[in-house]
Amino acid sequence: MQERIQSAVKGSRADYTEIRLEEREATTVAFRGRDLEAASAVIDTGGMVRCLVRGGGWGVVTFNDMADLPSRVEQAYECARVAHSEEPIELAPIPIATDRMAVTLEHDFRGVSMADKKALAEAYNALLLGYSDKIIDTSTSYTDSFRRVTFASSEGTFIEEERPQVELRIVAIARDGDNVQRASESRAGQRGFDFVQNHDALALRVAERAVDLLSAETVSGSRYPVVINPVLAGVFIHEAFGHLSESDFVYENPKAQEMMVLGRRFGPDNLTVFDDGSIPGLRGTHKYDDEGTLTGRTNLIQDGMLVGRLHSRETAFKMGETTTGNARATGYRYAPIVRMTNTAIEAGDVSFEDMIAGIDLGVYACDAYGGQTALENFSFSSAYAYMIRDGQIAEMVKDVILAGNLFETLMSIDAIGRDFEWAHLAGRCGKGQGGLSVTFGAPHIRIQDVVVGGK
Amino acid sequence: MDILQALRSRVDQAEVVRLRGESTRVGFEANRLKSSQIEETSGTALRVVKAGRLGFAASSDESTLDKLIENVLESAAYGDELPVAFPGMQPGADVSTYDPAIVELPVSRLVELGQEMVELLLEVEPEARVEIELERGVERLFLQNQAGADIQIRRSPLSVSLGVIRVQGDDVLAVFDRVGTTLWDQDLLDVARRVGKRLALAKSSATIRSGSMPILFAPAGALVLALPLVLGLNGKNVHMRTSPLAGKIGSRLFDAKLTIVDDPTLDGRFSSAPYDDEGVVRRRNALVERGVLRGFYYDLKTAAQAGTESTGNGARGLFEPPSPSPSNLVFEAGETPLADMIASIQEGLLVQHPLGLGQGNVLSGAFSNSWSLAYKIEKGEIVGRVKDVSIAGNVYDRLRSVAAVSRETEWVYTNFRLPYLLLPEMNVVAKQG
Repeated sequence: MQERIQSAVKGSRADYTEIRLEEREATTVAFRGRDLEAASAVIDTGGMVRCLVRGGGWGVVTFNDMADLPSRVEQAYECARVAHSEEPIELAPIPIATDRMAVTLEHDFRGVSMADKKALAEAYNALLLGYSDKIIDTSTSYTDSFRRVTFASSEGTFIEEERPQVELRIVAIARDGDNVQRASESRAGQRGFDFVQNHDALALRVAERAVDLLSAETVSGSRYPVVINPVLAGVFIHEAFGHLSESDFVYENPKAQEMMVLGRRFGPDNLTVFDDGSIPGLRGTHKYDDEGTLTGRTNLIQDGMLVGRLHSRETAFKMGETTTGNARATGYRYAPIVRMTNTAIEAGDVSFEDMIAGIDLGVYACDAYGGQTALENFSFSSAYAYMIRDGQIAEMVKDVILAGNLFETLMSIDAIGRDFEWAHLAGRCGKGQGGLSVTFGAPHIRIQDVVVGGK
Repeated sequence: MDILQALRSRVDQAEVVRLRGESTRVGFEANRLKSSQIEETSGTALRVVKAGRLGFAASSDESTLDKLIENVLESAAYGDELPVAFPGMQPGADVSTYDPAIVELPVSRLVELGQEMVELLLEVEPEARVEIELERGVERLFLQNQAGADIQIRRSPLSVSLGVIRVQGDDVLAVFDRVGTTLWDQDLLDVARRVGKRLALAKSSATIRSGSMPILFAPAGALVLALPLVLGLNGKNVHMRTSPLAGKIGSRLFDAKLTIVDDPTLDGRFSSAPYDDEGVVRRRNALVERGVLRGFYYDLKTAAQAGTESTGNGARGLFEPPSPSPSNLVFEAGETPLADMIASIQEGLLVQHPLGLGQGNVLSGAFSNSWSLAYKIEKGEIVGRVKDVSIAGNVYDRLRSVAAVSRETEWVYTNFRLPYLLLPEMNVVAKQG
């Protein structure tokens, strides 16, 4: 295989050529209510060739049939010649790598029978259904996926990597009359089967929360001081700030560069935000990105100031900055674009008790349904929440969706917790090409004066 | 290898689906042509029923068909026990979804179209950074089953995704739109024109105070109202009784000005087709008629679970078994001209692009959105863009009484056709407090 790929790359007429081939095998077991919805296996193989012609543009070809790589390369070269750039596209230099990364999983899911995978999901599902007769629907799914990715570039880089992924998603839906409420949890990691075992407590928490939400009132829309838990704080920093730090937003837009100028203040003195694709065990982690660049830690905000941003080789060259290893592709159907990996707010020194103590009326918002950004403005939604009254956690409320503005909301962070944690959720970022594995980390944080939509 | 033949003797029912696709796209970034891409897709998905149990497997690797068969048989050993019957051969719905003019459209023409769109938008907003992706292709789905169905569905999708970012100081305006067709449409530039109108209206800014006011939902904004109904009308959620609409067929649940139809028989529309992805004949289904709930949408399996018939709404990707999905979801036009709707508003909001679409407890009907693009309406006129506004509610309450439905409709996100909807009073949370 190595020889086939390397000789196809060598035969290219383009200024730069890369090939990425993938073989993936995945199994899914899913229960919905009392029914087994799926117990199935899929095989997905495919590849991508990407060529750069400096006076032209990027040419990309994606395919399932891997038989004739040289003609795919030629096709990609022809695509690259369709565009015409007045200013040639250049790539920032990176060290040439030759590397093979095999994975050893503690309890390799490829050796686990479909029967055992089914039994695992069935047991969690039964816990949900048995919790209360108000739980009328569930969705419990187990998925594993093992990918072999081979990457070769015309500069000589050759990388083979195994990418395992195991995922557990648990959803319970409770109903009382016309009132329907949903709760969910997930666990996911580049890990073995053991990672999704022994989560009975997690399943019960989902069931309990779905039932509790039935008696929660919809929050009253207003502006509140808001304390958000580590999971939601992670989603918040991903949406509120992370996407602005992706250089494909600024590198060809002088006005955006003025707005995102390094050294500008974005938050309080004690706010530090970073992205790090090299932390072992996290879902956004890979030794190399999908251009063959080593990943690592990039500080984005340090002591409240903008100090860095995330790059592909193209954006790094154009802006005269160093590469960060953030060119990522969702799969062989896609060319890499600038994406986050594991993004986090560094721990502060405030205890949770002190954080809520001074709040007369506020909201404690936990976990996330999701988030979305329009760059300056963003929204993120909590899965469940509580009112804070007179410095105490009070009644549960639902439908808490928070809206913010880049330049105000980060500045309004006035307490950063000391209880940092990484989320091991099945979280995905949908920028451009859909579901890419990312992780968030954060402590509890408090933000003043947040718009909460509501009745 | 004839997979159907190989499976026939080993199972009670078998279905073989082959997908083949080819597409070409060109991408504009920062107002310039930056890339071009060819995508070829091929794969095979199998479903079998053995001893009453349904199994599924799929592969994009044509060299592993033996493994594929082994996988589907293993899947069936664990599968659901369900009275699913794959349909026999029937004449398909009479609808056009294939146009050689699209398939043969030269790349140079795609490039020209993109350049015209960029020019059109820069004329309205010289500081805009325009990103466009134009894609044309051909997709074929071959379906065979043991009951005799032998179907080929051929489509020629052409789509345009368009995003505009304008940065002025610390102000960022981001507008996104997407349209699609399967028949060559001379009005492809329309999507750029309508985005241009939105940019032009956003040139002046306005402020608004929190409080109760009428809300005019533009078609793209009305998606926040349509999305909960997409879930509520899904036969799966009805069967599980998680849909607030379960058990309410025949009831008047919405304003009589609302009629909602799932219509896959419209020529050239993005989700039109003669058959669904399980070989069931596609047909027009009235879901809500003059405010009265008339039906839900089903695929084969969900219909079997619910003890009813598939409505021809089985949809699938290569790697997932079919599930119920709307085709083209149409909210029928109303009787009020848009101009009259705007003129009738003393002080209110026109909401165009939501943030956080689909977040929150959508199944319950709840929506809560801030707006990346919204305008203030004052004394019957759109006066400028407002930022940092949020509205929230529940569609099952809010759509009981709609003040007006526009005569004008727009296709948004390829397969929704929506009018402007005016809701009489909603609470707006704004920055000004």
